[in-house]
Amino acid sequence: MDDSDEALMARIARGDEAAFRALASRHLPVMLGLARRILGNAADAEDVAQEAMLRVWTHAPRWQPLALFRTWLTRVTVNLCLDRKRRAPWVALEVVGDIADPALGAGEKAERDERERLVAAAIGALPERQRAAIVLTYGDGMSNAQVAEILDASVSAVETLLVRGKRNLRRALERVIDEDK
Amino acid sequence: MDKEQLPEFLESALKRLTQAPPADAVAVERALKRLSGPLPRQKRPLWRLPGVLLDWQFALAWPRVAALACCAALGFVIGIAGVDRHFDRGGPPSAAASGTDIGSIVFEPEPLTGARP
Repeated sequence: MDDSDEALMARIARGDEAAFRALASRHLPVMLGLARRILGNAADAEDVAQEAMLRVWTHAPRWQPLALFRTWLTRVTVNLCLDRKRRAPWVALEVVGDIADPALGAGEKAERDERERLVAAAIGALPERQRAAIVLTYGDGMSNAQVAEILDASVSAVETLLVRGKRNLRRALERVIDEDK
Repeated sequence: MDKEQLPEFLESALKRLTQAPPADAVAVERALKRLSGPLPRQKRPLWRLPGVLLDWQFALAWPRVAALACCAALGFVIGIAGVDRHFDRGGPPSAAASGTDIGSIVFEPEPLTGARP
């Protein structure tokens, strides 16, 4: 049996709950991670991921395979994240298990971790759309065209979001460097 | 770190920090469990309505037609035989008011219970 996303969506459109659960278990972990990185809050991310999957169920009969299912679902999730008005404070992700770098001493590693914490905090302070563009581009390795499709914007608008986002991050870090001197 | 090293550091830090975190199995399990409950109604597109109407079965259901015909025949017989006529010939109403005191009828509710006469 064809168990591609599109085939499962066709079955969901006919009210097949088993197909929906199969699709949800396939995509929910990824959407949860994406929402977690955009919202910076685990509880909100869980709600958003669940809501996104429920929209898959309710909108399946109307869904047209004009784009990849994954792109459409990412768009739904990102929009839900951006629409989230009542947001809990952004909490920086833990620095994920660093690859051991023998060239770095303990002091250098502590200094680098501290700087990365600053970058994480600066990402949290970015406007939502800039943060979403940065997460999709750097975290998921998407092209500007893909990000534009998900954010419902032009490619040049995405480029502007990325440039402004990185400029904001650079300014925040420069401020810290200046204060340290 | 000085300002010249900043762009390079920022690029590598962004790649590291925005990577997908390892899947939180507990959160995924919790969300999937919530989704396993009763699901909401699906939104059907309106353009499918003509299709539904075209698929409608207009074949006659003979038991229903027979029941309808029986009901019609029964009503006809009752009407012809005048079985319902004695309802019209009932005696005078027990509390008929004459034309003179019709204005004196005041329907006041009981003061305690609020019941109407």
